[in-house]
Amino acid sequence: MNLSLGHYLVLGAALFLIGLFGALTRRNVIGILMSIELMFNAANINLAAFNHYLHPGGVTGMTAALFVITVAAAEVVVGLALVLTIYRNSATAYVEDFHLLKG
Amino acid sequence: MQNLGLLAPEIALSLLGLGLMLADILAPAKSSKLLYHFAWVAAAVALALIARGLSVSGGLPLPVSGGLWVVDPMSQFFKLAVLLSVIMTVMLCLEYGQLPPAQAGTFCALLIFSTVGMMLLVSATDMLLVFVALELISISSFVLTGFERRNRKSNEGAIKYFLFGAFSSAIMVYGISLYYGATGTTRLVDPQSAGLWLPALQTKSPVFTLAMLFILLGFGFKAAMAPMHFWVPDAYEGAPLPVAAFLSVAPKIATIGVLARVYMVLVPAASLGFTTLLALLAMLTMTVGNTVALFQDNVKRLLAYSSIAQAGYILIGIVAGTALGIQGVLLYSLVYVAMNLGAFAVVQAVGDNGSRDGLGSYELAAFDGLAQRSLSLALFMTAFLLSLAGLPPLAGFIGKFYLFAAALSAGRSASGGISPAVFYGLAVVGVLNSVVSVYYYMKIAYHMFFLPANSGKGERLPSKDGGPLPAALHAGPYLYGCLAVALAGVLYFGIYPDPLIANVQLSVPHLP
Repeated sequence: MNLSLGHYLVLGAALFLIGLFGALTRRNVIGILMSIELMFNAANINLAAFNHYLHPGGVTGMTAALFVITVAAAEVVVGLALVLTIYRNSATAYVEDFHLLKG
Repeated sequence: MQNLGLLAPEIALSLLGLGLMLADILAPAKSSKLLYHFAWVAAAVALALIARGLSVSGGLPLPVSGGLWVVDPMSQFFKLAVLLSVIMTVMLCLEYGQLPPAQAGTFCALLIFSTVGMMLLVSATDMLLVFVALELISISSFVLTGFERRNRKSNEGAIKYFLFGAFSSAIMVYGISLYYGATGTTRLVDPQSAGLWLPALQTKSPVFTLAMLFILLGFGFKAAMAPMHFWVPDAYEGAPLPVAAFLSVAPKIATIGVLARVYMVLVPAASLGFTTLLALLAMLTMTVGNTVALFQDNVKRLLAYSSIAQAGYILIGIVAGTALGIQGVLLYSLVYVAMNLGAFAVVQAVGDNGSRDGLGSYELAAFDGLAQRSLSLALFMTAFLLSLAGLPPLAGFIGKFYLFAAALSAGRSASGGISPAVFYGLAVVGVLNSVVSVYYYMKIAYHMFFLPANSGKGERLPSKDGGPLPAALHAGPYLYGCLAVALAGVLYFGIYPDPLIANVQLSVPHLP
């Protein structure tokens, strides 16, 4: 069986939807973070697949994927730091316990 | 390489940000105020550099570089507005008591990095640069929001902001990957001629439309458009007040700037069939912001919802998509910086009061009898609120007038299958919303002028009788400086808007 662009796009879309579902339903901040990472990686798969199948001469897609990986890593670092701070102050990482701010 | 000079303000500010982080380690905590002064002077220098660049070019088309970013009067206008807001924010920080002095350098550096991100964002003509610039803004803002590390509200605001921000970035990146698939590049302009480049074939393809929709959603989160606005009140209430003031202004107008560039100039919304969608988003944004603001008891939250509604007004100009619309967007963005930062400055004077005990309150009750405690602050606040509500002769009126006029003129010349009713409806909804907004803006004025003063510190309404009158409220010189700049802008552009209008009109013909 030959892998085509379609296969990769379906994989990317499936990964994106799984991540979307997880981000909207997870109750733990770490779980939401992992789901968001899935969505970023779905985009990376798309970028690499488009580059390989549609524009084999160029490197734009691969470069973009590298940028996305780097920026996502920076984002996760900040996110984990925030989770750590809130855990120190209120000993919870579940979003339903974040209820000081409302109105 | 010869174009690198055009990036000089951004490069200088980035280096300065790194320097500030180093200075944070080297400088003793008691000289932390010095770092704030350093930061605002640097922003002022960058502002002067950009203003000089504009006057040297004398309105001629500025050079455009390779296709990754563009320097034109519109981008420079937004950069000036962003730098003005960062200068005013640092002024507020100088008077704000809750920031840890030991981390002043880090705080300033993050503020500066965020500003650099906005300056790149309004110049970007490449999706990858748009993404990186947006992330530079967002990641700095997450940390700034959570900067009061011991304050659980600050933690909570930051984590909510972070989750929504990361989620929207992920959606946007997926959109960018589809954009790359549909066009074979991440550029928004033609790489060869560096001019306008509409991939006519791709605009019809569903993948391209889907990509632009996802990217619009990503922008929508950052500009706090209505169905994606849930993070705004929580992030603003949790954030240190100067940061809330900054977030309500600078990232919002920078996102509006890139939204205008992408969806009005490079890939017009009408060519994608997005006009009705954008119009619905604008109506929803205005209505949700104004309606929920009616029921707020916390002034920070009230201003948060008001800033959502204000973004809705600016969207009217983007929906109109005409030259008049662009002018309205530019005009209102600058005016919005002055009036919103001014209002937040008064809220800081009342709620923070320079004390380090954190007893200040941002409840509406804290504004009771402000006129007795400090008449000047109450008058300042009234001017900003009237301008936000859009009453003449203040600057907010001119801005709104332009935006609604843009919608009406777009309705008159509507073509290409878009019903003129969309534009007329937009103008009507905008005017009705302005009327509604007068109620909650004036509610603050009512509390300031017609209710007896209380301690201003209680969470609940204290007893109305007895007890000594609360002490007069004093604000520091920098806060008054910030207020004076804001009021000058609101009054000057309200009474004599001609120079501003001339500048705004100048920037329209040079768009690619």
